[in-house]
Amino acid sequence: MNNIWGDMTQYEPVTWHWVIAVYLFLAGLSAGSLLIGIGLRWAKSEINSAQEVATLKAAAVIGPVAICLGLACLIFDLTKPFDFWLILVNYNFESVMAIGVLALLLYTPLAFAYAMIVLRDDLPKWGMAFLSPIAMALLPMRKLIEGLLFVLAIGVGAYTGFLISAMNAYPMLNTAVLPALFLVSGLSAGAAANSVLALLMFNSDVHDFELGRMHRLEVPVMAVEILFLLMLFSALYFKGGAAAAALASLSTGLWANVFWIGVVGIGFGVPLLFMLLPAATRHSKGAMLTVACASLTGVLALRHFIVYAGQSYIS
Amino acid sequence: MKKRYVMIHDENRCIGCQACNVACRSENSVPEGVTRLQVRVEGPFGEAPDLHFKYHRVSCQQCENAPCVTVCPTGAAYFDDNGIVTINKDKCVGCMYCVAACPYKVRFMNPETKAADKCNFCKDTRLARGEDPACVSVCPTDALTFGDANDVNSEVSKLLNTKISYQDKSHLGTQPRIYRIPTKRGGIQS
Repeated sequence: MNNIWGDMTQYEPVTWHWVIAVYLFLAGLSAGSLLIGIGLRWAKSEINSAQEVATLKAAAVIGPVAICLGLACLIFDLTKPFDFWLILVNYNFESVMAIGVLALLLYTPLAFAYAMIVLRDDLPKWGMAFLSPIAMALLPMRKLIEGLLFVLAIGVGAYTGFLISAMNAYPMLNTAVLPALFLVSGLSAGAAANSVLALLMFNSDVHDFELGRMHRLEVPVMAVEILFLLMLFSALYFKGGAAAAALASLSTGLWANVFWIGVVGIGFGVPLLFMLLPAATRHSKGAMLTVACASLTGVLALRHFIVYAGQSYIS
Repeated sequence: MKKRYVMIHDENRCIGCQACNVACRSENSVPEGVTRLQVRVEGPFGEAPDLHFKYHRVSCQQCENAPCVTVCPTGAAYFDDNGIVTINKDKCVGCMYCVAACPYKVRFMNPETKAADKCNFCKDTRLARGEDPACVSVCPTDALTFGDANDVNSEVSKLLNTKISYQDKSHLGTQPRIYRIPTKRGGIQS
């Protein structure tokens, strides 16, 4: 519209677009997959731990690859992508983003180091034998690297939530539950991606013991995710005013469809419906891959819903 | 003593002519398509023939507790010695965190410098020469008053002490340095 006061496009409240939603997804995926992989390794395992299990190998691949893809999204979304180094040398520790940069600066190389340790027997097969000496040199420090990486992964997974919840202009984002929701949905994406890679890349059997242990985590994680979503929406409802107005995103517009079809229907509905199938069918490779892809789609849809619907309502 | 620059927009005097908007664009060479300052005209309110409009200045609120400064990862957004929220465009990487975090949506990416940009009370040009910001000087109805609120004898101190004023979105705790004198005439919000 031609107002006498001029162009209004810069005042559009949605500032961050899908690239940021994809980054939030990939960072959560990377952290979630490593948390699940390492967590299951620490939990008592009945099989011989001298050999690396397929699910941990999958996490070792997803961890560094997903975070690097995410960081590439982040850098090329800057208006000055070639000046990104400025963010590595200047820190404002009041800013969640600066703290996140610091965490990622430690997390990313550690994820690569851990991948080399876990995949040390596979490196020669993939033509990366030149990395084997580094992997062997890092092996004695495995416990330290694993512990640090686990703590940093919690930090990275939650930070993506803190990053957007720090903005009090947006009532749907400015909630205490968001970092927890992002961490938990990251776990759900991580478990799903780990099973996809374990089945396709590391030739896990569908009755693999580790895969089964990971599979048993999926429903409790999903239940917590649903609880956190309920907490988010009820907090908005009872806060009233602009916060309650933001609930309209659940009933109107494109993002309502993304939520109900993507997050609820595909992300929660498909995995739950598959549980009703006879055991033989639902434990087939195809069914397991379908469920995993549905979970990943649901988490990606959740990031998009939160980013877009969250920014659409301003207090 | 440090200065505490504030601006007062008297919504009774404003006529929405956009002279401030144009003067700002010219003084600060603001590129086409982006704006540091707009006066939005709302209404009409009331019953004909006694109709009136409301005028809402949209520009950097120069918050004393500025979300853009808090979220900026590199410190490119900072308070200068007199508390004016300023951008060091050489430190800005263009992450848009400040643009997203500003509750007033008055930050934008300058298409020429690729850095965040907004009103800075003309601090490098007119203010440095001891003059009022361009919008204040050009206003034909004297709707804008600018000065140091720490100086009890300043025009802004006298106005704030004698007139009812409000700040936009004060519930967010940003403590804007733009004060507004509300219009005396009412109006039922539709």
